Amino acid sequence: MVDSNLKEHSLVELLRGKQSSAKDFARGFLEMKNIVMEFPGVKALNQVNFQARPGEILALMGENGAGKSTLMKILSGVIPYPQYKGEVVIDGEFAQFKSTKDARQKGVAIIHQELNLFPELSVAENMFLGMEPLSQQTLGVIDWRLRDRTARRWLRDIGIEMDVSQPLKNLSVGNQQLVEILRALATHAKILIFDEPTSSLSMSESETLFRILLDLKARGHTIIYISHRMEEVFRLADRVAVLRDGQTVGTSLRSESTPEKIVSLMVGREIHDLYPKRNPTFGSEAFRVEDLSVKARGPHEPEVKNVSFSVRSGEILGVAGLVGSGRTELICGIFGAISKSRVTKKVWVNEKKTHIYSPLDAIDRGVALVTEDRKITGLVLDRSVEENMTLAVLPRISPFHVINRLEADGLVKEYILKLRIKTPNSKVEVRTLSGGNQQKIVLAKWLACAPRVLFLDEPTRGIDVGARQEIYALIDLLAKQGVAIVMVSSDLPEVLGMSDRVLVLRDGEVAGILDKSQASQETVMKLAAGVKTQA
Amino acid sequence: MSLSSTHEETLSPNEALKLKKNSWVMSSMDKKILSTLLALITIIAGFSLATDVFFTPRNFSNLLVQGSINGILAVGMTYVILLAGVDLSVGSVAGLIGIVVGISQAHWGWAESGIPGFITTLVFALAAGILIGVFNGALISILKIHSFVITFGMMVIARGLATIFSGASTISPVGPELNFLGTGTLTGIWVEIVLFVPALAWITFILLDEKKGRAQKSVTPSSRVFFKIFSVVVGTAALYFVSSYKGLPIPVLLCALVAFAGAWILARTRFGRYVFAVGGNAEAARLAGINVKRITFLVFVAMSSLAALASVVLTGRLNSAGPNAGTLFELDAIAAVVIGGTSLKGGKGSVLGSVLGALIITSLKNGMDLLEIQSYYQNIMLGGIVILAVSIDSLVERKMD
Repeated sequence: MVDSNLKEHSLVELLRGKQSSAKDFARGFLEMKNIVMEFPGVKALNQVNFQARPGEILALMGENGAGKSTLMKILSGVIPYPQYKGEVVIDGEFAQFKSTKDARQKGVAIIHQELNLFPELSVAENMFLGMEPLSQQTLGVIDWRLRDRTARRWLRDIGIEMDVSQPLKNLSVGNQQLVEILRALATHAKILIFDEPTSSLSMSESETLFRILLDLKARGHTIIYISHRMEEVFRLADRVAVLRDGQTVGTSLRSESTPEKIVSLMVGREIHDLYPKRNPTFGSEAFRVEDLSVKARGPHEPEVKNVSFSVRSGEILGVAGLVGSGRTELICGIFGAISKSRVTKKVWVNEKKTHIYSPLDAIDRGVALVTEDRKITGLVLDRSVEENMTLAVLPRISPFHVINRLEADGLVKEYILKLRIKTPNSKVEVRTLSGGNQQKIVLAKWLACAPRVLFLDEPTRGIDVGARQEIYALIDLLAKQGVAIVMVSSDLPEVLGMSDRVLVLRDGEVAGILDKSQASQETVMKLAAGVKTQA
Repeated sequence: MSLSSTHEETLSPNEALKLKKNSWVMSSMDKKILSTLLALITIIAGFSLATDVFFTPRNFSNLLVQGSINGILAVGMTYVILLAGVDLSVGSVAGLIGIVVGISQAHWGWAESGIPGFITTLVFALAAGILIGVFNGALISILKIHSFVITFGMMVIARGLATIFSGASTISPVGPELNFLGTGTLTGIWVEIVLFVPALAWITFILLDEKKGRAQKSVTPSSRVFFKIFSVVVGTAALYFVSSYKGLPIPVLLCALVAFAGAWILARTRFGRYVFAVGGNAEAARLAGINVKRITFLVFVAMSSLAALASVVLTGRLNSAGPNAGTLFELDAIAAVVIGGTSLKGGKGSVLGSVLGALIITSLKNGMDLLEIQSYYQNIMLGGIVILAVSIDSLVERKMD
């Protein structure tokens, strides 16, 4: 799809909706009527009705599995007509997309959670891939100078100055996302869908994104914003639509709604007390680290500089900090997951000085780590529930290397019951389970090792409210049983709701450690962002 | 697909019990093995109809002996491919170790030294295999170079060394013990002992297992138990049938032992689990405390050791060692593993599948030989079958998505 009319528009001109390209769409009124989508065995969408208007930001909320992605897949052409039933109407015309190309041509663009760009190609190449301006002189040759100039100009128009010939992978995630947005605009999209756009963005990058969204809205685009984050939704959205179990359960003006109402719509019942009421009793020091330093892997990578802290048994230490402050590097460095050459530290477990150079060292000393991304580093997706659960504890249940199947079976059953893991049996591949259940299996894997110190990195990422409540209760229970817990999370309410103390990281250093009584959104953010507080 | 999080009660133990007892919920691996088995049966049926020489003890005996070498290699290759790796050097290493065996027997006179000479030859061959495996394994696991590259290099080096050591000529003859290993059979009462005793023991174990499981409330569906016992009976009967022509061939016995050991280790030991984990997600395995380097290393050592065993059998059978022995053996081994359902991406597979795959390949070759189809066409057939097997596999998998 080469737009030979693509001259050097400035972004502003483009946004003003130049009718130069015939593919331009009139307004962007979207209606999805009585949408039904069935997969073998599951009705993912059941009579969904959904409208969005130009000049409006509509937030689409719902738990994992509620049908948001499926609905957007239909709208963006990933699921072609007639695999679904019902009607998609754009500006009064039926839209029956057979492919994503169809959808793009009709003005619908989706910016995914996981970016769909090419890291090795340049910024400009990515922005105009498939839409390059053709040279006027030579047939069939791309006018790359024009392309690059346009790319640079567009970026400048949104306030970013950069070398557009560098490979995309050099850019921060936030900037990569901006490139994807600009790419969507290059296709003259009127309806823009954003799927969890801020999940990998830093605060300032999110602010840039919000600024652009409001700008796009002002210029009459139709924006659908999918997000779990209540604060964002309540900041940006004009209307909120909630899906539950494949049905629309409510659409309301943001001004007339509250977070609690929305959560109860999402879950189907009232959620009181997401976080358990804690009555912690602290034991002796379970873990201490001093002078932990982790060297950065590259010029823009986070690092850790001389961090020291300790945790008592029965205590939950929350770790907060901005994206890039080094939280994950901190706990991976402690766990021995980062190569010895990049880490220096001094470690005490149960007040005994020791060393941790590898994950096995850590496990042997009663330290466990639930990683940030269960699908990539926490689970072997192709293997069964049982195999994943027993993975770390096998040395203890296999005398002479032969697995004691009774013990393994017993262990698996015990944790399936205790953690209320929903699975047809222990032999299914973990890939088939929901995010919440997968996370529980990761937890079970580590609990089976009876750790004294448990490190958690984003323990409830991508998990629905119901399962989250269960996981918080579990963490509380573990603390009551004497486990020392260190919890890294970018979800501030979660950190504040669960922690006895909060360690705030900034640029790889400890900006401060707050007691529960002192910790609040303001105090934590001030430390995380670098504004010095009094006391 | 859409797992609602609205509060459901989890199954009570009794309900869970009922669920399992009624139905054998087949894992995807089970299904693959079943379809491979069906393919094998179809092929055997087909050839049996095409010519009445096929379904005879004599022919099956030949068939199994011819396939036993590939069978041994396929077991090792299963482990390698489970790690998402490959060992291209297997054929050349078999050739090289064959030369080593040949030299030790014919040139160094161990052929005339009776049993001690024979044992020394075996040890020597095994040592050579381990040495090569250490070389491969170390480079792959420590330097983290892809196994394709390292084993490709070893393939070329080994072939070169084989030519050098043999002076580019065949070495023969080998000693009578070695010859017996490759061509001999168990006869008389030994056949019954070697076949029926283990079979009965195995069936007993299956039943005991089920009993123990019932006591612990983890029930294997009765259809699965029945199938297990049925396959033991059929397998034993088949081998007995084969033995009626001149007895149970030693290579077949060896291959069966290797296959059992390989399957058992994979299914029941810590090491086997680790192989699956490393192949499925090496990073998750590492973070769970598994020594990924050590597992990788050991798998390649095992592979080359099995190549050594295969070359001993081959040399014994041919009664000579040639510099070109074993050419392209790795491809047959890889084909057997792939046809048997093991995924090239690693993390999923079975030894049983690979053995069935090896049987399919050897049946095809044997059948086509009987029908006097020229070897060129045979190659086309075989290549086609491999592509077909993998395509069906991936189509089925994609449908399940």
